Amino acid sequence: MSILLFTLIMLAAAYGAGLLGSLTGLGGGVVVIPVLTLCFGVDFHYAVGAALVASIATSSGSGSAYVKEGITNIRLGMFLEIATAIGAVVGAIVAVYLNNNVIAIIFGCVLILTGTMQFVKKQDHTGIKGSEAARRLKLFGTWPQKDGSKQYYELKNVASGFSVMSIAGMLSGILGIGSGVLKVIAMDNLMKVPFKVSTTTSNFMIGVTACASAVVYIQRGNIVPGIACPVMIGVLFGALTGARLLKYLNVSLLRKIFAFAVFLVAANMIYMGVTGQF
Amino acid sequence: MQKIDLQQLIGNTLRWGVTIACIIAAIGGVIYLVQHGSEPMPDYTTFSYTDPACHPADYTTVDGIFSGIFSMNARSWIQLGVVALILTPVMRVILSFFDFIQERDWLYSLISAIVLSIIISNSIKGF
Repeated sequence: MSILLFTLIMLAAAYGAGLLGSLTGLGGGVVVIPVLTLCFGVDFHYAVGAALVASIATSSGSGSAYVKEGITNIRLGMFLEIATAIGAVVGAIVAVYLNNNVIAIIFGCVLILTGTMQFVKKQDHTGIKGSEAARRLKLFGTWPQKDGSKQYYELKNVASGFSVMSIAGMLSGILGIGSGVLKVIAMDNLMKVPFKVSTTTSNFMIGVTACASAVVYIQRGNIVPGIACPVMIGVLFGALTGARLLKYLNVSLLRKIFAFAVFLVAANMIYMGVTGQF
Repeated sequence: MQKIDLQQLIGNTLRWGVTIACIIAAIGGVIYLVQHGSEPMPDYTTFSYTDPACHPADYTTVDGIFSGIFSMNARSWIQLGVVALILTPVMRVILSFFDFIQERDWLYSLISAIVLSIIISNSIKGF
């Protein structure tokens, strides 16, 4: 295969990854890794570098829209960023000692968790009594409603949320993906952050977390220009299209279809990993 | 003192960072395809941490990237785009740090400084 053909195919695949990633809220990395490893036989250590690039591109690309609306809780994000950044550093160190098969199995497990969470009904928390620790850390906030008013919210379980975040950071250091699913579990299920706030805050965090490991990966040579270029450009434009489409599309069906695709890829990854085919 | 609207600035930083990164990488991509487009795809099937062939200076070191820029090395150009992309969220943390200082929120100035120092120390240490 010529470089030109590979670049064009990757550009199209990355566009699709960015589009699906932003419509489903999973980020571009989840699609980029299987395309590279399963379709092109690329080494996982290169695929993870490409996924990091995809994660940062999705996060920054869609992030610019959210900050202005004032939904993102910057304090919450920044505080939890300590956990994810340290986790990412540890993950990037651990990744050196993991072979392709082990990474494939870990990735498969994260995919199963991701797919499963697509079916869990999201409940919007109201009237949560916040904890003392959260109050001291000034993590309570407001978020704008459709009618222009501001809804006040409190949150709790800071310590357990922080611990889950450090695992999320470690996984994104190993896999390069945003591990948005763990971030949502930590903020939505444990800390009881309103869903809109946890989604945008998670998006903010994904970019910073990915940077913490990307600075190591780029120096190790895991991020190769020949792959990074089409991935970055494709994912960015895909994410931009996705953000536009999101206003007109009902994505709940798409999410369910995507979840089944995720299960299939996960099964494939784990099977090939266990039988040592990578 | 006139307060700067940092939320607005942060939003703009993200947009500009992504745009600049994309343009630089696209320039690199065009050079890359013109020079090497018809060649067979490089071997990405195995990566080794010890093999020096997997760590060419033109895209793994700051010096290498910048000297490659002046000699119109395609890989260095693309990688400069990647560096710009990585710096975008970092810039956002830096701006938030100043935002918290401006609000006299010392706790969160400290927290942003910790996050920033983790990223910076990690990038200097490299391996």
